Amino acid sequence: MTQRVAIVDFVQTKHGEALEENVRELTFGVVRKLLDRVDMDRSEIGTMISSSADYWQGTSCSNSYYYDAAGGNLKSGSKVTEDSVFALIYGMMRILSGHHRTALVVGVTKCSECPSENTLTNLAADPFFHRPVGLNTVVAEALQARMYLDQYGPSEEQIARVVVKNMSNAERNPYSHRGGKFSIGEILSSSMMAAPLRCMDVPSTSDGACALLLADEHTARQLTDKPVFIHGIGWSVDHTYIGDRDLLNGALPKAAEMAYSRAGVKNPSKEIDVVELSDVTSFHEIMWMEQLGLCDAGNGFRLVEQGVTALDGRLPVNPSGGLFGANPFVARGLIRVGEACLQLRGEAGDHQVPRVNKALAHSVHGLGGQSHSVVILGN
Amino acid sequence: MAVKSRIVKGFISLPYNWSMGPTTTRFYEEFKNKRIMGTRCEKCNRVLIPARSFCSGCFVETTNWVQVSDEGTIRTWVLINFSYEGQPMAPPYITGIIDLDGADVGLPHFVGGVELDDLETVAKKVRIGGRVKAVWKENREGHILDIDYFKPIN
Amino acid sequence: MAQAVAIVGTGQTECGRRTDVSYPELVYEAVSRAFDDAGLVPDDIEAVVAGSMPPAMEGVNNPHLYWADAMGAGGKPLIRTATCGSTGISLAHTGFYHVASGMFDLVLVVGAEKMYEGDPQGTMATVADPFFQRPFLAGAPGIFSLQSNEWAHRYGIEEKRVRMAAAQLSVRNHDDALLNPYAHIRIKITVDDVLNSRIIAYPVRLLDVCPASDGACAVIMASERMAKKLGRPTAWIKGVGYCGEQAFFSEGDKVVWQSAINAAKSAYSQAGITNPRKDLDLAEVYNPFTFQEMLFYECFGFCDFGHGCDLVEQGVVMRGGDLPCDPSGGTLCTNPIGATGLQRVSEVVLHVTEKAGDRQIPGAKTGLAHAMGGLDQFNGIMIISSVL
Repeated sequence: MTQRVAIVDFVQTKHGEALEENVRELTFGVVRKLLDRVDMDRSEIGTMISSSADYWQGTSCSNSYYYDAAGGNLKSGSKVTEDSVFALIYGMMRILSGHHRTALVVGVTKCSECPSENTLTNLAADPFFHRPVGLNTVVAEALQARMYLDQYGPSEEQIARVVVKNMSNAERNPYSHRGGKFSIGEILSSSMMAAPLRCMDVPSTSDGACALLLADEHTARQLTDKPVFIHGIGWSVDHTYIGDRDLLNGALPKAAEMAYSRAGVKNPSKEIDVVELSDVTSFHEIMWMEQLGLCDAGNGFRLVEQGVTALDGRLPVNPSGGLFGANPFVARGLIRVGEACLQLRGEAGDHQVPRVNKALAHSVHGLGGQSHSVVILGN
Repeated sequence: MAVKSRIVKGFISLPYNWSMGPTTTRFYEEFKNKRIMGTRCEKCNRVLIPARSFCSGCFVETTNWVQVSDEGTIRTWVLINFSYEGQPMAPPYITGIIDLDGADVGLPHFVGGVELDDLETVAKKVRIGGRVKAVWKENREGHILDIDYFKPIN
Repeated sequence: MAQAVAIVGTGQTECGRRTDVSYPELVYEAVSRAFDDAGLVPDDIEAVVAGSMPPAMEGVNNPHLYWADAMGAGGKPLIRTATCGSTGISLAHTGFYHVASGMFDLVLVVGAEKMYEGDPQGTMATVADPFFQRPFLAGAPGIFSLQSNEWAHRYGIEEKRVRMAAAQLSVRNHDDALLNPYAHIRIKITVDDVLNSRIIAYPVRLLDVCPASDGACAVIMASERMAKKLGRPTAWIKGVGYCGEQAFFSEGDKVVWQSAINAAKSAYSQAGITNPRKDLDLAEVYNPFTFQEMLFYECFGFCDFGHGCDLVEQGVVMRGGDLPCDPSGGTLCTNPIGATGLQRVSEVVLHVTEKAGDRQIPGAKTGLAHAMGGLDQFNGIMIISSVL
């Protein structure tokens, strides 16, 4: 890439169970605050790319409802859906094209207003083959977790440490929906939801929104002293039918490889200082770490046990608390990017990790992680 | 006037008519005769179920029908113990991915015929690599649920 | 500046009631044809862009993941873009920026809809917000009729004259659709048929309204370097423009329609078009309703405001006229919404590469493709030319 694209600033809501503001108000809230922070008038925004999903909003053409609330009135824009990191990617492409100097990127979901994740993701299964047998994200994730258990044999305690870590990190994050100190015993005594997954292995959903401003390098340096640069992005999709896929080695290694190669990262476990990934279950934090090449396959749970991924560890994973802290379904990916950004700027407060030069953010959607995106950021 | 945000209840219900296309239609017609049919890709030689009209990898049409066994091996499984709107049956129940003999891709379906009271007992009967056989319904209408479930054998 | 972007292949399905195929099979049909047209195979493609209307249209959430195999997308980057009725043009724009950014050399763009599987008007009625507008706007025909009445009233255009011009457009579109093998509604009609057809939402009558169709469309875009290497008939994207408005329908002016004006302006400025009436050889205007098309002529600068009817009466926008519009039969005769905007793009590509068959506009070099969506809220334009 000849040109560099930077994140100028990032704003998120205090995520919650059922936020009072409607989708328009949440969206307006984060965009207004972002513009105030960078001291920018709405007229100066180049383009606005948002991400939301119609089923997750109960409104068809979901962006029609908030396009102006997101600062887009009479501006060029678009909506990419299901994964808000796609909005970051598309905003970046628009800047690289030279058509726009800045791009406002917005993600919003109010899970409290729509049917459950279980119902909505069952509707993502095809109507003839997968849907009637009840496949949805949690079922697909449990099927993967079972394979992981069978292949590598971690103990329940080793897996539960992910939840302990993330909930404890989330407690330090002022924007979290949930958080707190839990013992391994408490997690292991939560009821079996989709064996081997217990209720506490799966983060429940949240309401939340976030906004982020992208700019070309020159403009970014005018707007902030602390631009965060996008070094590389990668994304990839796996096959339609779950029975066609290798459920322990799917689209994520491909997405990671693309991001690493664009970012010039040769040895991710050495070069990456902090990771914000989409921990859709406790098992999946470990599986995604391995598939991102941050450790060897079957070794992730040992790193967690050794404290390597803790806030003060060698490779902190989800210092924000990840999805265990807040899980507004579509917006969650962009929040990972924003949190990685805060780490690089040294603005993460109580969950700040020392010495961060390179950060990785990850997002996922689809049954069993059918689609992944990976972003590498640096100062 | 300071007020608290009010929640408005909504319910959207829309009817659908999904076309299966002739290939999927035949796949399910064969279910009435307790036959699980796949299509073989002539380029990569994989046998695909559900039978499909094209191979996604080779991007060619697949018209070569082959029967696969209604017995196979459990690739992975999950014991479901939670509920949601639109769920196919009341929990608890087991969902698995079955690698049927003669097919190159897996079939997601229920694993049944096992007492579900105790997880440890379940795990002895239902395991990765374990063999299962389809239990067909008496009345079959050409639907994935014409197979009631897959039952562990041996 | 932006890398030049070419279109090197297109594929469309026959549209209509396609109960003969499943949704992914419909997508496969369009994608295979695009590969055949470009002389490429899925392995050549570096990234895929896909989209459709709200998933409630077909009752499958995440349609892009459902179609992944039908697009040969497994193992590739795939993004879903969805902007309501303007989805098709937004897809084309997303594909454009994949290449214009310098990130990819070959990108597949796919739009599809299978509207016979769901309840299109029921789905579209849920576009309006649930607190304020949803009870009133009565799906698409309601909104467009509100707009058309305001337009005719603002300029004092006599109702009889508007109805006659709209009827002539309907006849034109239906005649042209007979020349397009992919069109859905293929019937010969007269002006009287239109004027006497049933009122759907006054003043709009049955033959002033588009159908709901099943159909898919695929387009392959390439960088300049790749297009030259392939050496196939090539169309070039000269300009893109998109503009969105407020969520509340009654907040903006829908007659001097700013989003349509802005979208055209930015596309024209990139393409170096100063006099669209002269510089364009054809336009594929998104016209789900006849009346609205005349309003677009004004916003796109084909004529002055209040003079849209003149272009119809003078034959300017008819086949054989100065600026033929919708020589494909347009949205009025074929509307698988998620694909519709991309069909507009494909049709312009076919004309400027002289591959439009019976419906070819002789010598067409430069054309405009358009789509509109949201609650009369989004407009998108693409200018396509045979010359780089």
